[in-house]
Amino acid sequence: MSTTELSSDARQQGTPPGDLAIWFFIYAELLAFGVFFLAYAFARAHHVELFNDSQRFLNRESGAINTVVLITSSYFVVRAVAAIRAGLARQCARWLGGAIGLGAVFLVIKLFEFHAKFSAGISLSTNTFYMFYLSLTIFHFMHVILGMVILAAVMVKALRGGYTAEQHTGVETGASYWHMVDLVWLILFPLVYVIR
Amino acid sequence: MNNIENQRKQFIRPCTRIWLALLALTAVTYGIGHMELGGTHIVMLVLAISFIKGEMVAGFFMGLRHTGLLWRAIMAGWLLIVGGGIAIAYLIGLK
Amino acid sequence: MQYKSQAVAKPYFVAAIALFVGQILFGLIMGYQYVAGDFLFPEIPFNVARMVHTNLLIVWLLFGFMGAAYYMIPEEAETELFSPKLALVMFWIFLVAGALTIVGYLTVPYAGLAKWTMNDVWPTMGREFLEQPLPTKLGIVVVALAFLFNISMTTLKGRKTSISLVLLAGLWGLAIFFLFSFFNSSNLAIDKYFWWWTVHLWVEGVWELILGALLAFVLIKVTGVDREVIEKWLYMIIAMTLITGIIGTGHHYYWIGAPEYWQWFGSVFSALEPIPFFMMTVFAFNMVNRRRREHPNKAATLWALGTGVMAFLGAGVWGFLHTLAPVNYYTHGTQITAAHGHIAFYGAYVMVVLTIISYAMPVMRGRAANSDKAQVLEMWSFWLMTVAIVFITLFLTAAGILQVWLQRMSDTPLDFMTTQGKIAIFYWLREITGFVFLLGLVLYIVSFFTGGDSKKAA
Repeated sequence: MSTTELSSDARQQGTPPGDLAIWFFIYAELLAFGVFFLAYAFARAHHVELFNDSQRFLNRESGAINTVVLITSSYFVVRAVAAIRAGLARQCARWLGGAIGLGAVFLVIKLFEFHAKFSAGISLSTNTFYMFYLSLTIFHFMHVILGMVILAAVMVKALRGGYTAEQHTGVETGASYWHMVDLVWLILFPLVYVIR
Repeated sequence: MNNIENQRKQFIRPCTRIWLALLALTAVTYGIGHMELGGTHIVMLVLAISFIKGEMVAGFFMGLRHTGLLWRAIMAGWLLIVGGGIAIAYLIGLK
Repeated sequence: MQYKSQAVAKPYFVAAIALFVGQILFGLIMGYQYVAGDFLFPEIPFNVARMVHTNLLIVWLLFGFMGAAYYMIPEEAETELFSPKLALVMFWIFLVAGALTIVGYLTVPYAGLAKWTMNDVWPTMGREFLEQPLPTKLGIVVVALAFLFNISMTTLKGRKTSISLVLLAGLWGLAIFFLFSFFNSSNLAIDKYFWWWTVHLWVEGVWELILGALLAFVLIKVTGVDREVIEKWLYMIIAMTLITGIIGTGHHYYWIGAPEYWQWFGSVFSALEPIPFFMMTVFAFNMVNRRRREHPNKAATLWALGTGVMAFLGAGVWGFLHTLAPVNYYTHGTQITAAHGHIAFYGAYVMVVLTIISYAMPVMRGRAANSDKAQVLEMWSFWLMTVAIVFITLFLTAAGILQVWLQRMSDTPLDFMTTQGKIAIFYWLREITGFVFLLGLVLYIVSFFTGGDSKKAA
């Protein structure tokens, strides 16, 4: 049985792309973020006016641009996976590079946002809203960094010819993690920046 | 499944459409935020949009569309529980 | 035994069990003092008995970890220990220093002990679990460094495996975080903040790495499951440990004067701390289910499975019960805390050390497993000690709930001592159960001397 048949067998069995271990990890991350999101929502319920007032000073434009940046970076990752599935390792690496680049854009925009807030004297202790805003976005920020590191490792291996059309679990594994980082932001942005 | 043409048909083209849809939905969410709209209906709309976006990323980008029921159910379940919890908390806050 | 130098583990294990007995005896003394406060006063006041009980626990577990490492590392690295002689010298230094410290606690009034051991030069005494005089603390650092040097050099010159690397990381972490016990701020809030960098980051941090490595090692040996499978589980478990436990430290920062956001961070992250323990339980049962061989050491397998379950129950479930800030506000510093502390330490660390001893001792004595008679006795001791701890936990939990209600939540709260009088019945029940535990421990020791036909390798 060739490995190509093996992968379509696996797909028929219905397991998600990439190493199963990363999916366990992804669920753990979603659990952690999920708990955090719910904590925000229920804390807000007890301080509605405070949250509404403080939320108005968030930079919604940065948040929206960052959403577009992450969604597009996820799309690039999709293109990378498509490329390696067709055996095009260099193309895969280029798409991954693009995704990492967009990740860097996200980080830079976020840093400007944080700088603006910190310069205005806002910190974790300012009020409950800002405590959540800063913790959630900084926590997410760190996951973007981790995701970029993972994608970079995959990209390097792809450039060195470490993946083929038949064997590229690593690419799918890294891709899945990156999509999770995107998915989390897709909840975070409306929750923290928009819902009032 | 191996050549790029197959990939284009089965994977890239649908995902490109999903990407554009995600951008459009983001614009709607941003618009709502920009106008500082609030209230139950708006918030339920925003949550519904977020659920759809989540399902799109999970189903198409992550490829869960082609997996077994359990995997899709876990992801949908997470989106529903978190989204539902947020909705409930919002309603509690309205009182 | 694959490598001759693994034999240095034996004295460490023997010392561990001997100190364990000492720990339990002092526990029984305190249990009685709870209901008859003058017992052994003034020769062994409660606070002295407590220092002896808790310090003995930590020291015997350290002996257990060191013995485990000296046994496991040569086998994992596939080479003899770097210096068996150093290991034996350190054994005696640690044992004598430890014994002298305990003698010091028992014979010298604490303030005097502090004066004579130069605590005014560099104050480190006077805090829970870290009551050791400065010389003892420095001695621990020296012994730890020599130990780490020995096993690190062994690993460096041999094969590196996931188990040995995780174990080393845990042990190095143990040593590094112990250094925080030397920091003693005059600001009480800061002092408490960093005290937890030793205590929490030990038992809810690097010690879990040690626990995972020991469990994984024994499971590979008794089940024969593929190393890769077990190693993958191990990495996932320790990843979850660190992810939840590091910021989870915040569940000790609720009421000490730290910023309020710790009530959020601590609650959210520590609520997830049961996850790695749950994984360890599933891991252990899964590996045993998929076993490729019927290892003759049934007792060790029982200890391994039991560790998973009890660690999850004690550290995970009982920890979760009082980890959220709104709950902890009422339960902080009550018998709920004591209940959790006892079952968590027993389930996670006592049991994993007994697991590795159960596996390794027979091998060091020249057989794959002990005789049926000895194993049955050992398994009796397992059940007696484990069931006893469960009941102790239930009694203390009941005491704690009643205490929280009477002293903190009721419309007419009672003072501390009156409340203690009202929950005394649970203390009596706890003390009686404590003797059952001691019986289990005695049977455990007897099992080492029980004869019969030993088991050869399967």
